[in-house]
Amino acid sequence: MPKVTINDRTVEVEAGTNLIEAGIKVGVQIPHYCYHPRLTVVGQCRMCLVEVSVNGKKMPKLQAGCSTPVADNMEVRTDTDEVRDAQAGMMEFFLINHPLDCPICDQAGECGLQDYSFKHGVAFSRFKFEDKRTYPGRERIPLGPNVILNMNRCIQCTRCVRFTHEVSQTGELGFFNRGARTEIGTFPGKELDNPLSTCVVDICPVGALTSTRFRFAERVFYLDKKPSICTGCDVGCNITMEHRRGNIKRYKPRFNPEVNDYWMCDYGRSTFERYKSVPRLRGCRVRSEDGTETIGGWKEALDLVHRRLRQRTSEGAVAFLGSGNLTNEEAWLFSLLASYVGSPHRGTPVDLGAGWTIPNLKGGITGTELAPNRRGAEMLGMRPSAGEELDETLGGDGSNGKEKAPVLDQDELLLGDGASKCAVLVVCDSDFGRGAYTPEVVERLRRAKFLVVFGWADSPLAKVADVALPVATHAEKDGTFVNAEWRVQRFVAAFPAPAQVRSTVEALSDLLGRFDPKWAGLTPEKVFDRIAADVPAFVGLKWSTLPATGAALQVPGANPIMSETTAETMPEVS
Amino acid sequence: MAFERVLTRNVGNRDALTLDGYKKTGGYEALAKALKMEPEAVIEEVKKSGLRGRGGAGFPAGMKWGFIPKGKDKPKYLVCNADESEPGTFKDRLLMEHDPHQLIEGCAICCWAVHAETCYIYIRGEYTKAAAILERALKEAYDARILGNSAMGSGFKLNMYVHRGAGAYICGEETGMLESLEGKRGQPRVKPPFPAVVGAFGAPTVINNVETLCNVPHIINRGADWFKSIGTDERNTGPKLYAISGHVERPGTYEHPIGITFREMLEAAGGMWRQGQLKAFIPGGASAPLLKASEIDIKMDFDTVAKAGSMLGSAAVIVMDETVCMVRSVARLAKFFNHESCGQCTPCREGTNWMELLLKRLEHGEGREGDAMLLKSVAGNVGGNSLCALGDAAVGPVKSLVERFPEEIEAHIRERRCPFPEYRYFKDGV
Amino acid sequence: MTEAPAPQTRFPGFTPEARRQLDELRKRYPTAEAVLLPALYIAQRLSGGWLPDEAIQAVAAELDLPESKVYGVVTFYDLFHQKPVGRHRIRVCTNLSCQIRGSEEIMGTLHKELGVGEEEVTPDGRCSFVHFECLGSCDTAPMMMVDDDYYENLTPQQVRSILRGLK
Repeated sequence: MPKVTINDRTVEVEAGTNLIEAGIKVGVQIPHYCYHPRLTVVGQCRMCLVEVSVNGKKMPKLQAGCSTPVADNMEVRTDTDEVRDAQAGMMEFFLINHPLDCPICDQAGECGLQDYSFKHGVAFSRFKFEDKRTYPGRERIPLGPNVILNMNRCIQCTRCVRFTHEVSQTGELGFFNRGARTEIGTFPGKELDNPLSTCVVDICPVGALTSTRFRFAERVFYLDKKPSICTGCDVGCNITMEHRRGNIKRYKPRFNPEVNDYWMCDYGRSTFERYKSVPRLRGCRVRSEDGTETIGGWKEALDLVHRRLRQRTSEGAVAFLGSGNLTNEEAWLFSLLASYVGSPHRGTPVDLGAGWTIPNLKGGITGTELAPNRRGAEMLGMRPSAGEELDETLGGDGSNGKEKAPVLDQDELLLGDGASKCAVLVVCDSDFGRGAYTPEVVERLRRAKFLVVFGWADSPLAKVADVALPVATHAEKDGTFVNAEWRVQRFVAAFPAPAQVRSTVEALSDLLGRFDPKWAGLTPEKVFDRIAADVPAFVGLKWSTLPATGAALQVPGANPIMSETTAETMPEVS
Repeated sequence: MAFERVLTRNVGNRDALTLDGYKKTGGYEALAKALKMEPEAVIEEVKKSGLRGRGGAGFPAGMKWGFIPKGKDKPKYLVCNADESEPGTFKDRLLMEHDPHQLIEGCAICCWAVHAETCYIYIRGEYTKAAAILERALKEAYDARILGNSAMGSGFKLNMYVHRGAGAYICGEETGMLESLEGKRGQPRVKPPFPAVVGAFGAPTVINNVETLCNVPHIINRGADWFKSIGTDERNTGPKLYAISGHVERPGTYEHPIGITFREMLEAAGGMWRQGQLKAFIPGGASAPLLKASEIDIKMDFDTVAKAGSMLGSAAVIVMDETVCMVRSVARLAKFFNHESCGQCTPCREGTNWMELLLKRLEHGEGREGDAMLLKSVAGNVGGNSLCALGDAAVGPVKSLVERFPEEIEAHIRERRCPFPEYRYFKDGV
Repeated sequence: MTEAPAPQTRFPGFTPEARRQLDELRKRYPTAEAVLLPALYIAQRLSGGWLPDEAIQAVAAELDLPESKVYGVVTFYDLFHQKPVGRHRIRVCTNLSCQIRGSEEIMGTLHKELGVGEEEVTPDGRCSFVHFECLGSCDTAPMMMVDDDYYENLTPQQVRSILRGLK
């Protein structure tokens, strides 16, 4: 493998590595705009010019780092006067025709021109007596439903064009005209409309491409950026949740070569809006026999639920309806609850939809369900008849000795008349899917004698529940999800839940503690480590050492192939 | 010593436009000879001759052919660069319109030498007449089985096509040409890989100028030693076409041994137009830095002109007399480069734009103190930093204006106008 | 003098002769994409000298290329027009060798005689003119190109005479 020395730091790299990548490996940042690890190298912006010597002989011209593969005995310098002059020269060229839009431009604070201008440019302009080039009429063109173009700000790096041809493979964008009049756009009358269209906003180094959803929404330097996972579908794209004091303003994709690479879909970016548009449960709401509602404390509410679950009268079955939004820890505790009651009646609704593929180096992942963790929920016990296997091992209340009745699974409960056979029906996640808002489904589930609903959303179902318990959204808790490729990924809370709202793990642990004190006071970490001990697919994993890119579970169909890059060695490309 | 014309020997002989007429002057004898030689031997002969590219870069042709990997299993291509868009250049057009078979023969020999079974003659879209003449000549060659499945019965399959460009100077750049040939925007590629490794359609490709290839039949017929006997030294050999235009009495294409002095060339073209006074001349097309009248005795070969701080390039000589404003002329060239820049890389796209604006401002009397230094600085940031040679080319005339004619720039700034009156070339609009 | 086809506002579709030419062209290149420039010339001729969006879409469909790519190619080159042109298209070289032999005055003559500016079409649809870069005829400066033909060693008088001959 060839060895290269960059600013006196030597490193051995794979043959074919370019100088920008080699620089990252030794901690030398070579500035660049048009280069992106997932797009063909074009060497256009000329920002990455560096001094290269091979076998002691300096090359007469500066070389573009992105298009120069490492050769043995290559020496690179990025700190010479020549390189600095070139960088300043290029910055000057970028800025002479660039509008001074910073005060009204979304990109301010995360702008490639601002950053490199500060680092490599000069603080004055020599372009004083000439007119800037403009593209009249192209200052705020919607290229499609999600992306708006301001052609004046464009630096013609062509990342967006290459993205649509190479990554999304939809080819909407093109490079038109020639020379100083080049512009990007779509064929007249056509739109930039593919599931990944907003990704071009991410990769645009400047504010030429802006997201319709985020336009003028917030200054980025006021945003708190926390890593999380998208809950839009079962791909489990890694995201950065960007919020201002609990008010989520934007999702951006976070690099994970094993899952979503650098990308995420437009739909996923919209999913946080539900947390703000759907009314929230903010207190424990108990409906008494005569219909009056009281907002009370958790102790009273959980005591009531515990009592009702223990009664197990001949009034009927006790059923547990989970959701694809449950974290693994929540699902495991929920099914544990079901086992304490000896109930095989469990189910998780399957919400089919999406069908978009997020490209990655392993061929991409296609999301087919509109919930992040249906697989995890089912694996950890929220599937029909699961209680029968778990009953003995968990030392629950024992079987109820009755004859085997038909199991009330999610179809029976949601589509059939299953709820009317229930003495108690516990729903964990009032937002379990599209069905949660359908009046027919709500009506069917209400047929249970006693309806308990855990959820963050004050959905129509929660409104008719006997006990509605407010729990956290996924932005406010820690947990793990299992994605479409059977990869378990961990996420942490971005901000705390409002008062009176508890995480589902905390609430379930509190409730289970009333059955057996050993279950009280659990945290997601403790639960996960318990899961790793009990469930074969999770054996060997530990919450605190779960890799940042997730871990492949040991199930058939899991994709354990590691891509060639890892999150540790490849930091986010701006 | 009397110099016998080589490349232009058939100009004026209308008969030579036909295959039979061309053969009467010894045409296709070189191809027949080459087909009996080992390809390696053909390359060696061209190498020995010292033939350097006539398109502008002056790269040794034989060496370029030698870079092509040997072997017959993978496809290889020859692309003849007939894009001729360098301002001041019109020699290739003369060759194609008057002696198309000479070019075809040269291409065929090159194809044999590197085992390229397909040759595209990339001709600029504006040369409709030359393209039609070439098509006719190619048809004759196919009918006579000189081209086709078995070139001259040798068993070597050779196909040659005319491919018309669509109006872009940058398609004269070799990788820009390849992109255009492949049906894309003519935007140059990053090098490496070089065309000899990855060229047209991913295959090893030779790209040579029309005039370069037209020399090849003569080298094969008469030998490398004969070729070397013409010219100044072993690095500047062979006959050369000089296209001279501007303020000379008889503009046109003249064939001289390479290395003739500019003074001799000027005389051969009838001296200064209307007995004007020589002020400046461009030795090699718009990309070549300007030379002053005092440099009239310069030898017009690659190395001598390079040493003087300019370049022979395409040997397109533009002569300017005392009525010509240097700022206005360089402003027009800056406008050309701005128009022709492909727009990919930042220094060329923005830099040529800025240089045109700067020079326009100077020419219109809005120049400011320090503009000359600014111009030099901008040119310095473009040159050497661009993705292809157009950036460097754009800088040539600008730098030479600042270095050789600073007093003209100062005059524009000081007088707040162009000191040269608008010259009327036609009296009473006739 | 070449026969100038009547300008169309729509693309009339590929004629059988055009299809025959396209088939012949496909044999010359290893990829369909490489047929693009010749195909655009054919489509432009069928549309009367310029390329309406329909023509571009037809070529894209014919060669199975993204429309954005074909549009990018059309807008890159000076000989492909996206706006209607006159029946006769005039290109005047104004580069250096022609500039110092009177090309500006030739442009002025055209402007005066045709009564329109650059890139505009005369009201009767007869002519449009533009300034152009070096056309490779510097020894016969000043000069211009009308459709496919070069007119060299011009004087304003000759320009007027040439214009009179254009129908």
